[in-house]
Amino acid sequence: MVDLSEYLPILLFLGVALVLSSLFVFGPMALNHVTGAYKPNADKLAEYECGFPAFEDARAQFDVRFYLVAILFIIFDLEAAFLYPWAVSLDKIGWTGWFAMMGFLVELVIGFAYAWKKGALEWE
Amino acid sequence: MSYAESLSLTLSEVILAAGALVLLLVAGWAGDKATRLISWIAVVLLAVAGLALLGPAGAAFGGQYQADSFAAFAKVLIYFAAGASILIAPRFFQLADGSHMGLRAEYPILILLACVGMGMMVSAGDLLSLYVGLELNSLAAYVLASFMRSDQRSAEAGLKYFVLGALASGILLYGISLVYGFTGTTAFDGIAKAYGDGVSMGELFGLVFVFAGLAFKVSAVPFHMWTPDVYEGAPTPVTTFFASAPKVAALCMAIRVAVVAMGPAAHQWQQIVIFAALASTILGGVAAINQTNIKRLLAYSSINNVGFALIGLAAGTQQGIAAVLTYLAVYVVMTIGSFVCVLQMRDAEGRPIEAISALAGLSRSRPGLSAAFAIFMFSLAGIPPLFGFWPKFLVFDAAVAVGLLPLAAVGIATSVIGAFYYIKIVKIIYFDEPGEEVFAANNNVVETGLMLLTALAVSPIGYLAIPVLGQLSDRAAGSLF
Repeated sequence: MVDLSEYLPILLFLGVALVLSSLFVFGPMALNHVTGAYKPNADKLAEYECGFPAFEDARAQFDVRFYLVAILFIIFDLEAAFLYPWAVSLDKIGWTGWFAMMGFLVELVIGFAYAWKKGALEWE
Repeated sequence: MSYAESLSLTLSEVILAAGALVLLLVAGWAGDKATRLISWIAVVLLAVAGLALLGPAGAAFGGQYQADSFAAFAKVLIYFAAGASILIAPRFFQLADGSHMGLRAEYPILILLACVGMGMMVSAGDLLSLYVGLELNSLAAYVLASFMRSDQRSAEAGLKYFVLGALASGILLYGISLVYGFTGTTAFDGIAKAYGDGVSMGELFGLVFVFAGLAFKVSAVPFHMWTPDVYEGAPTPVTTFFASAPKVAALCMAIRVAVVAMGPAAHQWQQIVIFAALASTILGGVAAINQTNIKRLLAYSSINNVGFALIGLAAGTQQGIAAVLTYLAVYVVMTIGSFVCVLQMRDAEGRPIEAISALAGLSRSRPGLSAAFAIFMFSLAGIPPLFGFWPKFLVFDAAVAVGLLPLAAVGIATSVIGAFYYIKIVKIIYFDEPGEEVFAANNNVVETGLMLLTALAVSPIGYLAIPVLGQLSDRAAGSLF
């Protein structure tokens, strides 16, 4: 009797490959099918609070500058997120930690200077 | 080990990262006028970083970063490919972009940053530093793929690469989290210890997901679907870069994960690698036959080549890994050479042509270019007098040595299928009637030099390098065992 359990990894690999690839082919199709049956009305379709109208003529213009601002916000927001745990544990990580964070901040400032110079922060 | 000592072991990454940041400021203030200067400085930085690899070996940052001869070997290939991709870019962008704006100053900087990431990938001794390196490389690569913003295909390539690359990163991260959950560590030596005590079901799932993510990054079948689209849409110098440097980095990273971290589970990952190797060689060989676009054809060719390289990894021995490294060295040279040939396909105004049919009768108007094309195609097909034969022989030899005879047999059979489409291009160049398409003459010293150099290296003259190359790859592979 052949011990089939030895071939489990290949079975799992094929299974994962099959599931993932069919998910990306059939998932959107199924989604289409499901969402195709909806009964829309003006209130349902209205965008929630702020934000862009979700279903419009594809050629409608929206300002790409919003995204730039959002990306810059995320970058500098993350910096603050890193700074808090660093600050409260500075007595344990010592000079090594201090220099590591300074290196990080210098890199960030260079990126900031580049973005500024390129005009990413100017609205007009 | 102190922080300063750790930093000194990572000298080549420090040089590249610091250099890239300074160049970023130069690019910000001087703008695109400084592109030429920045490009040359970037190439010099890559050379200096390559020299820095001669420094001491060791484990830095508590084993998260490994400076050994395996990493050094991979990095030399990566830096060479990156340097070549920078050098061939200016002329392409000058002519291909309708606006005649030329190459933007950020191109060489992005390549440098990608190189920092790839250096981390091949040196990683921990799944998390591996992931950080991988992302650093990928984020630069997404931007590079869509570097010709006004070109629809380039933008599409960038978006596709980003979406599928993010998916692959997700799969890999899921695998990493499973491995961490079941072994309690992300360090390679700790993982090896845990896998050595027997592979549990959870660890097995972690292994499968990690390998699925890695297969995505090396574009091995069944996770290859992004490759032809991205290679076709990206600007040709960027495609050159994608087909060479990140391939080396991802394969070497996969080797280190397989051998060092999951070595005790070799029996399990071997099945996956064998399947991916077989599927890649077969699909890469068969799907390329009907391609009409030369860049798509080369994309399938790279899938095919990854399959052959994985045969060496499937063997799992030091001989097998050394064979993969030799394979990668020759593959990088062949790839750069063939893409420089593709770069020469320009019409009178300098717009790139990508249709294979445009090559018809090229031998009459451009005998030198045709000869180079023929050398690279024969070499990619692995036909004996050319150097492309040697690494194929080595991987098959390594596979046979551990008793994987059927794998080697199928590999040889698929390389015969692959030979069909490579030789078809040679036939179109030499025996078809010329069409009205006439390629613009090439008067660029850098491109001609690079073409000559790579063509000589893969010609039978390349066999002279076997003792050196063999010894270097043996030593590099030896540092993993």
